[in-house]
Amino acid sequence: MEAEKLTVSQYLALVNQTLARIPSDDFFIVGEVSGFGVSQQKWVNFSLKDEQADAKIPCFMTIYQLGIPLEDGMKIEVRGRSNVYEKFGKFSLSISAYNLVGEGALLRAYQMLKQKLEQEGLFDVSRKRALPRFPQTIGLITSAGAAAYGDFLRILGNRFGGLTILHAPVAVQGSTAVEDIVSAFLQFNNLSAEEKPDVLVLTRGGGSLEDLHAFNDERVVRAVFGSSIPVVVGVGHERDESLCDYAADVRASTPSHAAESVVPDRRDVLRELEHHMERFQFGVMGAVEAHRHILEQASHLFRSFIDGQLHRSRLVMARLHATDERLAYQRAQIRERIENAVRLLLHRLIEEKRQKNELVNASKRLLESFDVSRVLKRGFSLVRSKGKIIRSSESLAPGGRIAIQFAQGNVAAEIVNEKQTKLL
Amino acid sequence: MTKKPQSFSEAFSELEALTEWFETQEVDVEEGIKKFVRGLELAACCKKKLEEVENKVVELKKKYKEIIPE
Repeated sequence: MEAEKLTVSQYLALVNQTLARIPSDDFFIVGEVSGFGVSQQKWVNFSLKDEQADAKIPCFMTIYQLGIPLEDGMKIEVRGRSNVYEKFGKFSLSISAYNLVGEGALLRAYQMLKQKLEQEGLFDVSRKRALPRFPQTIGLITSAGAAAYGDFLRILGNRFGGLTILHAPVAVQGSTAVEDIVSAFLQFNNLSAEEKPDVLVLTRGGGSLEDLHAFNDERVVRAVFGSSIPVVVGVGHERDESLCDYAADVRASTPSHAAESVVPDRRDVLRELEHHMERFQFGVMGAVEAHRHILEQASHLFRSFIDGQLHRSRLVMARLHATDERLAYQRAQIRERIENAVRLLLHRLIEEKRQKNELVNASKRLLESFDVSRVLKRGFSLVRSKGKIIRSSESLAPGGRIAIQFAQGNVAAEIVNEKQTKLL
Repeated sequence: MTKKPQSFSEAFSELEALTEWFETQEVDVEEGIKKFVRGLELAACCKKKLEEVENKVVELKKKYKEIIPE
């Protein structure tokens, strides 16, 4: 029988078909990492070496699958499918899953990732947020059946009531743990503002480094770091630590401690409440007291003001009174002065008048007596008719009676002739 | 002066603000008494909330949420 002729491609296709028949999902291949490298920032290449025999399998995967850091010398177990890459005729294993084997490898991976994330700033204390003091809604990410779940809720209930706990049940270890936890963070962060919890708690009980792998997985650590809601991580017993602890806003040592970190004890709050009440009671009493004091002061001031006013009024009154007296005195003086002046004036006037009268009278008398008698003595006579001095014969008629005054004596006479040209 | 139901946090914060007001202000009696009364209301409200014992656990499901009383 003549052998069938195949092309290279045809043969390699046959090889790959045969390789595909291997039930790869049924086993892990255990070996040591050697020649670890990343090309084009995308492709991860290394060889899985047999620990005893001189044998190796070329392995590859994408960088996105690299949840746990690897380096040469690490013992790992891998699952994947093998094939021959036609272009180079090269056999390789395409990895679908891998785990670290043994505490040594895990610890090394842990330290490497810790250093990397630390350098990136995921653990910076400066970015840690304060937790709300009185959260109303708490997002709890943990396994439903675990002791951690019960512990957390029990301690929470002991401390505070009336809370809503939104529980995202997740596997905290095993193959789905990383995916579960990461999607729980995503879900909580995507809730509406009303539904969104005030704080998230990621917790689980203690365990080996292998048990805690999800809490040391880069994707979970980044989910904790990237959460818009503050995160409390409480893993294991006191001595356990995880990379999530470092990335959390608050690190709690145990699930119970996580509950204590999230809510205050109602008894402490009650005490504080009473303290507040005392303080503002004190404040208001103080205000009332101060008010009373002010009132007292004001009334005192008012009283002294009134007293002062009264005193001043009295002074003014007294002064006015004094002024009054003085005025009266002055008035009296003025009146007296005026009276005196008037009296003096009157007196003067009277005196003057009297003097004038006297003068007039004297003058009259003098004139009367002096002139006529003197003329008469010289021989003249004074003729009067009916009391009037006669100055012309015209005013006399015959038969009229006249009186003639001489220097010595008087005679009565009768007119005989009215015209007498020739004197007797 | 009763407002719509406040959360414990809001009531407590308001209470703290009142205390601070009392301690930093020259307290006016009228205003002080008003705030004092408000403080008493808030304290009573907080105390009432503190007396609550039960916490409600709601399971967060992937696609829908279901309320399961504890």
